[in-house]
Amino acid sequence: MSIPKQPLNQRVLKYVITFLIIAGSLWSASGLEITPERFLTAPSKVWILITAMFPLDLSQEAIDRIVPKVGESLFIAWAGTVIGAFFSFPIAFLAANNFSLNAFSRVTKQILNVIRAFPELILAFVLLPITGLGPLTGTLAVGIHSIGTLGKLSSEVIEGIDEGPLESIKSSGGSKLNELFFGVIPQVMPTITSYWLYRFEINLRASAVLGVVGAGGVGAELINQLRFRDFPRAGTVLVVTIVMVLIVDAISAAIRRRIIKGRDIRV
Amino acid sequence: MTVVGYPFALFFSIFSFFQVGFNIDDFKRNWENRKLVTDTLFDPKWDWAIENASLALLETIQIAILASILGCFIALPLSFYASRATNQSTLTYVVYKSFLNFIRTIPDLFWAMLFTVAVGLGPFAGVLALVMFSLAIMGKLLSETIDSIDLGPLEAAKASGAKHTQAVFTSALPQILPNFTAYFLYIFELCIRASVILGLVGAGGVGRIIETQRIFLRFDRISPIIVLILVAVIAIEQFSVWLRRKIL
Amino acid sequence: MIEFKNVSVVYPGGVNALNNVSLNIDEGDFVIIVGMSGAGKSTLLRTVNNLVKPTDGNVFIDSQNVTSASKKELKKIRSDIGMIFQTFNLVNRSSVLKNVLTGRLSQVSTLRSVFGLWPKNDKDIAFESLNKVGILEKAYVRGSNLSGGQQQRVGIARALAQKPKVMLADEPVASLDPITSRVVMKYLKEINQELGITTIVNLHFLDLAKEFGERLIGLKDGELVYDGKVDDVSDKDFENIYGRAIKSSDLLGEDD
Repeated sequence: MSIPKQPLNQRVLKYVITFLIIAGSLWSASGLEITPERFLTAPSKVWILITAMFPLDLSQEAIDRIVPKVGESLFIAWAGTVIGAFFSFPIAFLAANNFSLNAFSRVTKQILNVIRAFPELILAFVLLPITGLGPLTGTLAVGIHSIGTLGKLSSEVIEGIDEGPLESIKSSGGSKLNELFFGVIPQVMPTITSYWLYRFEINLRASAVLGVVGAGGVGAELINQLRFRDFPRAGTVLVVTIVMVLIVDAISAAIRRRIIKGRDIRV
Repeated sequence: MTVVGYPFALFFSIFSFFQVGFNIDDFKRNWENRKLVTDTLFDPKWDWAIENASLALLETIQIAILASILGCFIALPLSFYASRATNQSTLTYVVYKSFLNFIRTIPDLFWAMLFTVAVGLGPFAGVLALVMFSLAIMGKLLSETIDSIDLGPLEAAKASGAKHTQAVFTSALPQILPNFTAYFLYIFELCIRASVILGLVGAGGVGRIIETQRIFLRFDRISPIIVLILVAVIAIEQFSVWLRRKIL
Repeated sequence: MIEFKNVSVVYPGGVNALNNVSLNIDEGDFVIIVGMSGAGKSTLLRTVNNLVKPTDGNVFIDSQNVTSASKKELKKIRSDIGMIFQTFNLVNRSSVLKNVLTGRLSQVSTLRSVFGLWPKNDKDIAFESLNKVGILEKAYVRGSNLSGGQQQRVGIARALAQKPKVMLADEPVASLDPITSRVVMKYLKEINQELGITTIVNLHFLDLAKEFGERLIGLKDGELVYDGKVDDVSDKDFENIYGRAIKSSDLLGEDD
């Protein structure tokens, strides 16, 4: 019985990856001057903050201030998602390499990459002097960033379509436009719509923080209460935000499930 | 659903646009201000940016590396508890699943604000914030992946008398390792992007410099920093795409 | 050696998979169970290692009650029972060796198995098992890079690595072509004869059952309808087990 030798790359890979992970962590931790005991003492410090938040400030005045701000975040997220969906949809076709010219597709994809690289907050404060303090700036920032992310995802959906239905339309004498409306769009719509909704869930979190730079939403409220050390009220801001996000997530997830199920039936 | 859904979505959209104040007059008035930005934005002070922002940018990258590694590796065991496929106890399943859902509802910058209050200003708060951020995303993605693994190998391990932990480690873990690697690289990219803005609330990294310059409307100093960030983000993304193709 | 005493299994939802089955299997037997799909073959096999717990009745191995065994006892019992599956149940991404080592889990500490620090002795057993089914040279190949027949041989090696007293094979050839089916059956038979491991095989194909079996058990709708020597079984008995005339799909056919 001659036992085979384990190939070198199999033997080495495990150690290389382990080394990279440990070395990366240590290099980063030492650069940031973070020691293990800081991690060990962190939980008790967080606990102090949490206990300081309770009981929550549920006074009428606090609720009247906070709830509209949370609502504002919701509207920013939705309007931003609508902007993102509206513009990304045609752009996605330009970026899809099976539908657009190769050079076109490449350029569009690079533009989308650049748009995506800007976080909403950075977009927001570049826009701020032009569009003013307030939710409009937040909406535009969320919207522009969403064009980048939705454009990329949607173009990938378009690139992954089943070419069968297209061929049957082509062979029965359909035009390019017929192909688009009867072959491509019905196929990609369910997935793309569910990406829109998913993006809305993400945008909700993004819009919540935009207030930090004055671009509307609940973020300003949280940072102000924390600065003034009014922890019960900061706690209320957090709880109201969390409840809103949980509700929206649940609704959106339920709709996404229905949309995706609908697609399966059509296949 | 369609009959109610589409009109409602349309109505809600119009309502939202009113709420966020899509007001042409304001827009026009502010449009005059654009010079404030455009005059300086396209006159980048490269020397200043490289001299003052490189170290902060490095700090940003280190925050992202440490946080994504910690967050993802904490998420690994939690995800097995948060999946029906590998957790037979309904109680702990619900507890872990709810915990992951809960931390997912809090935005990254909120975590950063909370941690700066709890542990003080600086990059450590940023690391903790992004640990929660990565933990939440990895926990969701990975537990859903574990839900759909092939249960056959687990049954085979159980049939040979293996303990539950042994069966999970030898038969379930190898199945999701490629996904874990792909998610890790994806989350690392997200962390790089997210860590850029942590400085806005005092949680370390290059955002701190952006924040101070922003207050003085020094867009001539901000724009080269943004370009530097862009280059770093895109370079790291390309590297991660290359790595993904290489090892998966 | 294995004793079924009035075993019944009712699945949640009310499906009556086994109905009052009593049966004795002697040490070293090579038993083949036939029946239509849904007749309860898989369920019967899984009551032996308690992957399915009988709702009524008990299973004994060497007079130890499997059905009422504690968690700890059950692990001990299962470590003596190898199992082979229709879909092989290999971890496709892991190497053949790692898959075979899964069979040693009950003998290795949790910590060692979690970090993949297998003792040399267990590795040697794994290599031996692979050698026995003739695919030692594939030890470091990924499971997914093997053909179906080779994968099932890895499945057999994994079971052998347990050094079992009993071998259970649940439709081991249902996903294989006729030639490899016979190769796999040949290995199972060899192991039974050389190592004296009591073997129970679920099969659908009548000709394969006749070719390799010694004792034949027929199940129909969860009830025992035939128990006897393979040589004595007639086409009429098969028609009784299947509840209909024999079709060509019930036969594996010749190698061609």
